[in-house]
Amino acid sequence: MRDRGIVLAQARMAILVALRTPRAIIFTVAFPLILLVLFNSIFIKGGDNGTTLPNDVRISAQAYFTAGIVAYAVALSTFTTLAVSLTTQRENGQLKRYRGTPMPPWTFIVAQITRATVQALFMTAVLLAVGALAYGVPIPTSTFPAFVLYVILGTATCCSLGIALTAVTTTPDSASTIAPFTVVILAFFSGIWIPVDQLPQWLEAVGKIFPLYHLALGLQTTLSPNATGSGLDAGNIAVLAIWALAGARIAGKRFRWEPQAARA
Amino acid sequence: MSAVSEVAISVSGLRKSYGENEAVRGLDFEVAAGEVFGFLGPNGAGKTTTIEILEGYRERSAGEVAVLGVDPAAPTRAWRDRVGLVLQECELDPLWTVREAIALFARFYAAPRPVEETIELVGLGDKRDARIGTLSGGQKRRADVAIGIVGDPDLIFLDEPTTGFDPTARRDAWNMIEGLKALGKTVFLTTHYMDEAQHLADHVAILRDGRIVAQGRTEELGESLGRRTVIGFTLNGGLSVEEIRGRASAPVQVSGNRVEIETEQPQRDLYALLGLAEERGLALDELEVRRPNLEDIFLELTREEPR
Repeated sequence: MRDRGIVLAQARMAILVALRTPRAIIFTVAFPLILLVLFNSIFIKGGDNGTTLPNDVRISAQAYFTAGIVAYAVALSTFTTLAVSLTTQRENGQLKRYRGTPMPPWTFIVAQITRATVQALFMTAVLLAVGALAYGVPIPTSTFPAFVLYVILGTATCCSLGIALTAVTTTPDSASTIAPFTVVILAFFSGIWIPVDQLPQWLEAVGKIFPLYHLALGLQTTLSPNATGSGLDAGNIAVLAIWALAGARIAGKRFRWEPQAARA
Repeated sequence: MSAVSEVAISVSGLRKSYGENEAVRGLDFEVAAGEVFGFLGPNGAGKTTTIEILEGYRERSAGEVAVLGVDPAAPTRAWRDRVGLVLQECELDPLWTVREAIALFARFYAAPRPVEETIELVGLGDKRDARIGTLSGGQKRRADVAIGIVGDPDLIFLDEPTTGFDPTARRDAWNMIEGLKALGKTVFLTTHYMDEAQHLADHVAILRDGRIVAQGRTEELGESLGRRTVIGFTLNGGLSVEEIRGRASAPVQVSGNRVEIETEQPQRDLYALLGLAEERGLALDELEVRRPNLEDIFLELTREEPR
């Protein structure tokens, strides 16, 4: 009970800090929304020109971009947010200070993941609502459970990788450069900005190695009314799960509580 | 209150090396429960290394350490509940308010102090809703102290708690530390200010190059090291140095017009000198009687020797 209270108090403080950081809100909340509006305005002119996913499922352009930008927003909310905020707190000495209290270390990590998850789910809901209301993206009931499952699995994977990334980011600046840059570039490889069927083969081949490709593909498939069955794909789930486990392993071994940059 | 052992901290043969460099070279000391212990030394003497070992942040290379009966190399949650820390630098999120920060840390402890009471105790009552980032250096330090004591610990490590304070804030901090002592807390204090240690500490240890060069009761330290009381005044032409030498029990040092007598019998010498001045109808200008203070001892013991 006491530990649950600690987790909730820390998660609440983390959310408060995020709300008090205008840069973070613009970057992780406003930016994906702006992109959703821009993509739907620029690339969709006069009727649905649709696209075919690598698994041969047809999807409208509106649903395609909406699902892709959900994947992007999930990655920003979790991978980027955790890498930046954990590195900042570590380099400020906040994490070291926590370790000098009776607070169990796991409660801190769980609270940070909770905060990232809240943000990822919030962004998913907002983007879906805007997609449905403004651009008529249908929400298929049969595959919606799978859509939610992909969001959750994507959140877990990106949280795990965001924490793992702090092993190499020695300053808040390096974290806030490396993490968002990685996501933007991988988004190209993952067909979030440009449909996969228009990408050169090698680009898609590289994209397939990384989890964002599979998260985007899973979300796009399950947001298409043409998907069959549950919409789940063992390949997508496997790649996401492997990255989640790899990230967790690195995070478990390499996560540090003491400032790294200032160390002599 | 939990049973407090007689000895709060005991350290013997403590050593710490970083590669070739031996930062701490065999320390032995004890801190009694309920006292304020001043741990002094110039930068680089090994103070921070030692305090971080005692706080459970750093592993030692050799020696025995017990803090509240527990080896800090294996800190437990119950032990952390009883130990409060004020580290050297502010490590609170600038976006938190004072109250939020203290309330968060209060959550970590099994039996914390009331949050509002703690805010008042450190004198941040009118800043409770201000963000940490907007506080002055001294106010931030008070917030650090607040999170260090909000768990109502038995033992508190204060690492340079008044650095950056103005004289009034320093006095307030001293009162607060005396208040902690009055509550039966043990305080382990490092400071750069010798007047602070002199004022607050029951015992002190002076560290230099990883070794303790002096330790003892604060007021006895000077005498135990053979330091004497100094009588000083300025010659104004009425008395000759020879006459003064004739009356004083100890050697008379003259530099310029200033006369200093380092004596073991301050009362006798003072009486003799004042009598001499009285006979001549003279005044002893700028007369002072100085007991050996911690600052003198510290400077002498930690002075860099010419190499």
